Amino acid sequence: MQRPDWAPETIDIERPSVARMYDYYLGGSHNFAADRAAARAMVEAVPEAPLMAQANRAFLRRAVHYLAEAGVRQFLDIGSGIPTVGNVHEIAQRIDPESRVVYVDVDPVAVAHSQEILAGNERAVVVQEDLRRPEAILRHPDVTRLLDFSEPVAVMIVAVLHFVPDSDRPEEILRTLRAALTPGSHLVLSQASDDGRDDTGERAEAERVYRRTDSQLFIRGRAELTALFDGFELVDPGVVWVPQWRPDAPDQAENAERAVFMGGVGRLGA
Amino acid sequence: MPDDVATPAGRRPGVFARAWAKAVSGTSYLPMTQAQLEEVLQRLTDRLAQALRADPFDLRIGQQVGAELVQSHIASAEGLGRTVEVIQLRLVRDLDLVVDDVEDRMARLLATVATGYARALRDRTLDEQESIRRAAMMARAHAERALRDSEARFRHQATHDPLTDLPNRTLFTERLTAAITTPGRGADRVGVCFLDLDRFKVVNDSLGHQVGDSLLVAVAQRLRRALGEHLVARLGGDEFVILVERTAGTDDAVKVAEAALDAVREPALVDGHELTVSASIGIVERPVSGTSPMELMRAADSTLHWAKAAGGARWSLFDPDRNRRELARYALSAAIPAALDRGEFYLDYQPLTSLRDGRVLGMEALVRWRHPELGVLRPDSFIPLAEETGLIVRLGSWVLAEACREAGTWSTTDADAPFVSVNLAVRQLHRPDLVPEVRGVLGRTGLAPDRLQLEITESTMMSTVVEPVRALRVLGDLGVRVAIDDFGTGYCNLAYLRDLPVNEMKVAGEFVTGLRAPAGDPGGRTDERILASLVSLAHALDLTVTAEGVETAHQAERLRAIGCDAGQGWHFGRPGPARQHLTHAPAA
Ligand SMILES: C[S@@+](CC[C@H](N)C(=O)[O-])C[C@H]1O[C@@H](n2cnc3c(N)ncnc32)[C@H](O)[C@@H]1O
Repeated sequence: MQRPDWAPETIDIERPSVARMYDYYLGGSHNFAADRAAARAMVEAVPEAPLMAQANRAFLRRAVHYLAEAGVRQFLDIGSGIPTVGNVHEIAQRIDPESRVVYVDVDPVAVAHSQEILAGNERAVVVQEDLRRPEAILRHPDVTRLLDFSEPVAVMIVAVLHFVPDSDRPEEILRTLRAALTPGSHLVLSQASDDGRDDTGERAEAERVYRRTDSQLFIRGRAELTALFDGFELVDPGVVWVPQWRPDAPDQAENAERAVFMGGVGRLGA
Repeated sequence: MPDDVATPAGRRPGVFARAWAKAVSGTSYLPMTQAQLEEVLQRLTDRLAQALRADPFDLRIGQQVGAELVQSHIASAEGLGRTVEVIQLRLVRDLDLVVDDVEDRMARLLATVATGYARALRDRTLDEQESIRRAAMMARAHAERALRDSEARFRHQATHDPLTDLPNRTLFTERLTAAITTPGRGADRVGVCFLDLDRFKVVNDSLGHQVGDSLLVAVAQRLRRALGEHLVARLGGDEFVILVERTAGTDDAVKVAEAALDAVREPALVDGHELTVSASIGIVERPVSGTSPMELMRAADSTLHWAKAAGGARWSLFDPDRNRRELARYALSAAIPAALDRGEFYLDYQPLTSLRDGRVLGMEALVRWRHPELGVLRPDSFIPLAEETGLIVRLGSWVLAEACREAGTWSTTDADAPFVSVNLAVRQLHRPDLVPEVRGVLGRTGLAPDRLQLEITESTMMSTVVEPVRALRVLGDLGVRVAIDDFGTGYCNLAYLRDLPVNEMKVAGEFVTGLRAPAGDPGGRTDERILASLVSLAHALDLTVTAEGVETAHQAERLRAIGCDAGQGWHFGRPGPARQHLTHAPAA
C-alpha cells in the first residue's frame, strides 16, 4: 500500500535537532549525542555560538518583559524550542498569572517535552505545527481556545526565521499572521544575521554544520529583517544586534560586535 | 563596619555579591536581570559568611550554597570555576571578615560548595537527560500512533466510497474472494445481489446532482440498516452490491434482495423533496466451489439487466440456460464484423408483384448469413442484436451496396426492370452521412434512383426528428422511393403520413391473414374493411399500397378487389436468388 503524503514522520534521535542543539548552547542537558556532536562542530566554527544563543535568549526575556509591562497578556511563541529556563510563560505569568501562552514548534520531541513541562498549567499549551503554515496555526483549536485575537497578542518568532528559506515566502507568512492581529498586538522577531560583517568563512561553515540537521540555515541582513516588520511600528531601538535591544544595564550591550542574532519588536498601530 | 557585613536577606547587594555576579554572568544562560542575580548572590554571600564563622564548622551550609547556585541556573563548569576563584580571592577581604584559621576554614568551605555544586549539577543533568528521553519516547509513541491512525485512515479511504462511506468495490471483492477461497464450516454457498436504482438518471437530471447524491446517501444508510449483517458496498453511480454469505439455498439470497427492495422503496425526504424510488436486483446464489468472484459478479450484473428489462422494481434470479442463450447471442453479434470481412453474408430477394398485371414491380432484399458452424441464419437471429450493438450500421451499408449492385445487373435482361427495396434501420437513418452514402452507391453502381426503395418501419418514422426527415426529403427529391414498412402494427399518426416524403405504404401481414377466413366470418370482414380504408387512405395521400404476407390466390383476389396495388408473400414467391424471380412467370 502506498504511504499517503500526510503520513507523519517517525522520530529519529540520530539526526541532530536544532531545538536540542540550541538547548546545548544554553547549557542544558536536554540533548542527545548526535545533537552534541553537531553543536560542538558549530562551536568549532563559531566559538561564540553558545554566548550568542544566550544573548538571544536574554533578548527574548527582555522582550517578553517589555511586552508584559506594556500590558500584553497573550503570547503566541512560534518555534519555542525545548523549554529550558526562562520560558515565555514563566516570565509573563510572573508578571500577571492570567497571561496566556501558546507555544508552537515543529519538533515533536520539543513538543512532547513542552507538554510535560506545561502539564497542569491551564494558561499555557503547546501545539505541534509549522511556522510555514500560519493558517493552520491560527485555526488550531488550542490556539483559538486560549487566545482571543480581538485583544492584543504578541507573536514571537525568535531565532526561527533563519530556518525558513525565502522560497517559503516569510513575508507572506508574516502578512497572514498580522492579518489576524488587532491593534496593540506585537511582533517579536530575531534571526541569525551577518549584517555588515566581513566574510571570514564562518557563515559557510555554520551553514555546512546545519545541513546535517533537521533544518538548514538562511542568514538575513538588517534590511531584510526590517522589511519583515512591514505593517508594524518598530519599537525603539528598532532592528539591532540583540544585545543592543534595551539591555538591562549599559555594559550588557558590550558583546554586540560579536553577536550573530539581530532582532526587534514591532507594534501594530490602529 | 562595612555596610554589607551580615546583611539580612533582601539587603542591597554589596561589593562582593556584585563582583560575584559579574564573574559568573555569561558562564551560562541566566533567566534574570543582573539586579536579580546580584540579589540571589547577596543571599548566598550571607550564607557563606555564616559558614565561615560557624562553630563547629557546618558542612551543609557550603553544600546548600553550591546546590542553590545550580538551582539559580548558574550551572556550568565555568560557573563553578569562577565562583571558587572569586570566593577565594575576595570573600574575606570584601566582607572584612575576622575568622580564626581562615585558610583552613576557607579550604573546607570551598570544598563543600564544590561538592554541593557538582552533586546538584549532576542531578540536574541526569534529570534533564531523563526528561528529554521521556519526551523522545512520547514523541515516538505519538508519531507511531499517528502513523497507525493515518494508515488506518488511508486503508479506510482506499476501501470505502467517499460519498456514502459504504465499502467500495475493492473491499467487496476482497470479502467475496475470501468467502469463496477460504470457506469456513457451513459456508459452502454464497449469494451476490446486484442492486441498481430505477431511473436514477431522471432524479439527477431533473433535481440536480446534489439531490442525486443525497438520495444515494439515504439509500446507502437504509441498505446498511436493513441488511446489517450482510456486506453492502457501492460500486459506483447508483449501483450497490450485497454479499450474502453462508446461504443455505437460493431462498436466503432472495429474502435479502426483498429486504433491500423494501428498504429502497420507502419514500425518502431529500433536500425538501419527497422521493420515491425503486430498485432492480440481480441475484446469483450458488456453491462456492467451482465459481470465482469475477464470474459471480458478472452473472449478478447480467441478471440485474434481466430485472431491468422486465420493467424494474423487482429482483431476477440467475438462470444458467437463459444466460447461455444470451451469451450465444452476444457471441453471434460479436462475430458480425469478421463475417462481413469473410463475405459470409448474401442477399435473397422476395418479389413485390403488381395485383393489376402480375408484373414484378420490385424485390425486397433480405440478408442471410451463411455461418460456418450454424448454417444459414435468418435475419431475425442476428439483426435485432446488430441493432442493439450498433453493428447494424456496417451491415446495413453492406446490404445497401450489395442490393444496388445486384439490381444494376437486372436491367440488362429486362427493359422495365424491378426496383430493389432495402430495409433501413433507425441508426442508419440518424447518421449524417446517409445521403452521401446513398448517392455514392447509386453513382458507383449506376442504378437509377427510382429503382431504389428504402423501407422504414412505422415506429422509425414516428421517432424521427427533423434531421432524418430532411435526409429523406433530399433522397426523395433525388428520385429514391421511400416506403413505410409494417404499416398498421405501431401507433400510426396520420399527420405524419401527410408531411413525410413517402411513396409507398406496406401493410402488415396481420391484416391479410384475416382475408383467408371463409367469407361471412365477422373477423375476416373487419380486416377486409380495415384494409379497404387503409388503401383508400393511402391513395388519398398519393401512396401506392403493397400488402405483405399474401399466401393464397383468394387473398390476392380480395386485395385486388379492394384496390390494393401490389402484394408480397409466398403466393407470389418465396425469398430466393433474384434471377429466380426475374424468370418467374406472373402468378396473378
Ligand atoms: C533556536 S530555537 C529557538 C527557541 C526560542 N524561540 C528561543 O529563541 O529561545 C529554534 C526552534 O524553532 C523550531 N523550528 C524550526 N523551524 C520551524 C518551523 N518551520 N516551524 C516551527 N518551528 C520551527 C525548532 O524546532 C527549534 O525548536
